[in-house]
Amino acid sequence: MIATNVRRLALYLLLAFAVVSGGLGWWQVVDAASLNARAENPQVIAARRGALRGTIFDANGQALATSQVIEGISRRTYADAAFSHLLGYASLRFGTTGLERAYDDILTGRADPNPLRDLVNDILDRQPEPKDLTLTVDRRLQDFAAAQLGDTAGAVVAIDPRTGAILAMTSTPTFDATPISGVPDAAGPAMEAITARDGDPLVDRSRQGRYVPGSVMKVFTGAAALDAGIITPQTTYPDQPRQETEGFPVSGFTIREHDLGGIQPDLWPFSPALQVSSNIFFAHVGLELGGEAFLDYARRFGFCEGQQIGSGARGLPVSASYVTAPIDGDCGPFVDDVELASAAFGQAQVNVTPVQMALLAATIANDGVVPELHAVRDVRAHAADPATGPADQILERSSTGGGSRAISVDTARQVRVAMVDAVEAELGQLFAGAGAVRLYGIGGAQTAGKTGTAQRSEGQAPHSWFIGFAPAQDGAEPAIAVAVLVEGGGSGSGRAAPIAGRVMAEWLRLNGGG
Amino acid sequence: MRLTLAWRWAELRMLLPLAILVPLGFFVTHVAREGVLEAGSLTLAMGYLALMLAAHAILVLSGQRGDQLLLPLVATIGGVGLVMLNRLAPEVETTQAFGLQLDVAQTQLLWFSVGTVAMLVVAAGLRDDGPLRHYKYTWAALGIGMLVFTALFGFEVNGARLWVALGPIAVQPGEFVKIVLVIFIAGYLADNRALLTEASLRIGPIRVPPLPYLLPMLALFGVVMLVVVRQNDLGQALLLFGIFLTMLFVATGRRSYVLIGLLLFVAGVFVAYRLFPHVAVRVDIWIDPFADPTDRGFQPIRGLFAFARGGLFGEGLGQGLPSSIPLVHTDFIFAAIAEELGLIGAFAVLALFLTFVFRGLRIAMLARDEFSALLAVGITASLGLQTLIIVAGNLKLIPLTGITLPFVSYGGSSILASFLMIGLLLSVSHRTARAIDREQGLPDR
Repeated sequence: MIATNVRRLALYLLLAFAVVSGGLGWWQVVDAASLNARAENPQVIAARRGALRGTIFDANGQALATSQVIEGISRRTYADAAFSHLLGYASLRFGTTGLERAYDDILTGRADPNPLRDLVNDILDRQPEPKDLTLTVDRRLQDFAAAQLGDTAGAVVAIDPRTGAILAMTSTPTFDATPISGVPDAAGPAMEAITARDGDPLVDRSRQGRYVPGSVMKVFTGAAALDAGIITPQTTYPDQPRQETEGFPVSGFTIREHDLGGIQPDLWPFSPALQVSSNIFFAHVGLELGGEAFLDYARRFGFCEGQQIGSGARGLPVSASYVTAPIDGDCGPFVDDVELASAAFGQAQVNVTPVQMALLAATIANDGVVPELHAVRDVRAHAADPATGPADQILERSSTGGGSRAISVDTARQVRVAMVDAVEAELGQLFAGAGAVRLYGIGGAQTAGKTGTAQRSEGQAPHSWFIGFAPAQDGAEPAIAVAVLVEGGGSGSGRAAPIAGRVMAEWLRLNGGG
Repeated sequence: MRLTLAWRWAELRMLLPLAILVPLGFFVTHVAREGVLEAGSLTLAMGYLALMLAAHAILVLSGQRGDQLLLPLVATIGGVGLVMLNRLAPEVETTQAFGLQLDVAQTQLLWFSVGTVAMLVVAAGLRDDGPLRHYKYTWAALGIGMLVFTALFGFEVNGARLWVALGPIAVQPGEFVKIVLVIFIAGYLADNRALLTEASLRIGPIRVPPLPYLLPMLALFGVVMLVVVRQNDLGQALLLFGIFLTMLFVATGRRSYVLIGLLLFVAGVFVAYRLFPHVAVRVDIWIDPFADPTDRGFQPIRGLFAFARGGLFGEGLGQGLPSSIPLVHTDFIFAAIAEELGLIGAFAVLALFLTFVFRGLRIAMLARDEFSALLAVGITASLGLQTLIIVAGNLKLIPLTGITLPFVSYGGSSILASFLMIGLLLSVSHRTARAIDREQGLPDR
């Protein structure tokens, strides 16, 4: 009896050992190649100890990240802390982040941008040759934007709306990536010193930070409702003027207007409502649009899922922006009308990245097409002397001009006119005039924009937002779209709008305007 | 006691390859480390060989007639472990033991010696199983006492309070609780087997265990599990549960007991997942270690990388990066072996364990009484399941737990307890040999 049971037990244990052996075979043989290629693999880290890494140049050929091999150890030097988040670091101790991570195989030369050459190199077992990157980001604008933020925590993202090229993308507070990326023993204390500082300097607020957007979201709500035919630029809501003072009851909850600064409520259609940033108007619009259409348009603009800057396997990941509480990485349904009405003016469960908001502005500027974001202009052969600029031989160019349509050209134009009014017209000047590039010496160019003063919990100062683009007058082709976020910066017009105005003006000036 | 020799030629023959294997391992790792072709220090290797040959000699001298494969199997597995620890010694922390600064391999050899002595005392000294089976409740009380003492007066290492300071030595009583629990369950099941097998309740198509007869054992087992889970020792809890179910299955032949037990365990884990954050963390890391690759997922990911680097034939002894895994010498020594010896070497080590398991079960099948059979099953299941749990944990087949790979992982209590269990197996096997003699009318040797 017992002997029979023991015999059966032996069979079960044999099976268990067989399963374990199968697991062993899986990791050691079947899945080994993909594990061996991962950047966190200590073998990969050991291999790069003495390996040269390609140089990263800005749009004008200035070297931003350079490598030297000293005493058998590869050391990376970064020229500019304003780029620390975008470039990331290439540390022998802590691995890679940012573009250093996204383009690791190219920079180390483990891969060639051309798959055919990659295969040939693999077959011939050639030594990897590092390759260089040229960015679309202009160091002059990047430094200018970083200086505007100064010591305060925040982010500036600037995009060329026509191509999706990142012109500037900076996050404060920043850190010096050089000591982390040198001798491994020194990297530990350097990293400790950085993480010990206040304000999470390692976090890239522009693409990893999620913030309540407040009123900048009204640009989205208006665009969606106009495109869906729910409203026209002339639509008004008869109850709205009264509700500006009395409040707008939604399912037993009363939605209240923010402080209009002494402006008398009136029957406002879309443009004046955007100028004074009427919560009541946009709550009506949101409710009329409905939750499903709201979510549908949100997805068209890129909300509700993780994004990336650059295409394919070498994209730089951007955290998903949500308009509702997320479920499994997607926007969940609206819980009730109160949430929908609040989301329509950028409160409730709306949480967005500065990159996403810059993309929203760029989409309006680009006549309704969401441009494909990219920060790397091209991959080049390694330049022997980084000081003399990048090599001439271009191996791969990033695609430009692609993108997907979110709203019609007509809708985009209507929103654009209202956004110009929101900065330049009489009412708009009271709220967002500080974002006008005219103020910073650029004549003849109008600015489109919208401020946001994102309320947070009791006792916390609101986040200050501005999104916009320039030049925005009829017939002009916008050259820059920006999103500016200042954490706890108070009103949008007070902090974010002037920074955005200066950044846009600087870009127009650098490109021969003004 | 009369001095009667029992020649054990098979054992000696199978111990002899170690004379090449272990020194060769030391030699190869030394060359790999230093990059020069020289022998390096073989003192530890020679000490290990001497220890195993001495153990063999004492078994012969004491007339031990137990299974002759156990010692060679254990010595080979332990030899692989010692080679690995000696290779890792410069890269992991040294330990303070008995006032001496010893590296992990030296300390391990010291514990091998202590364990071997304990094994010999049990194997040669325990000629009668009376003290084990008649005092089963005393053993159970001792086990619970040890656990409670640890829970009250123990100290924490790596987040689990499993250690007790005995003078200068830190001991893990949990390792020994396993043994007394196996003795108790074997005794209880042997005494009540008839009742447990025959009486049963039926609820619809499901046969339910006769609870009243199981109750004393379940109660005691419940107390042990409670303490172990409270100590945050999940691997130990899983192991004890596995041992319990295995012994229950062998005693009754009821697969339903095992199924119900497994369902209860899964339900228990689910509840623990919801209630205890440290359990939830373990399970989450298991499901996706790459979600937190620099912190909590770091160790398991580094383990997987080690397996992948090893590939089919391994990086070669002394040429991998095993010290890139935190706690490689305890939790992840199997990954280190797989990295440097490859799939082939890892299979070989698993085959050694499997052979050991089969040998242990053979001892159980040949045993002439139920208590001995269940004792042998319990011990074999303990070492076999322990191997499966830690290896499967390394391989991400189940959540990782911090239990040791028997005879291989660094750790004094584990080595001592494992050798004690070999001693018990040898003594069961020895009694069977004598009983067979008696059945055939041969004189008592």
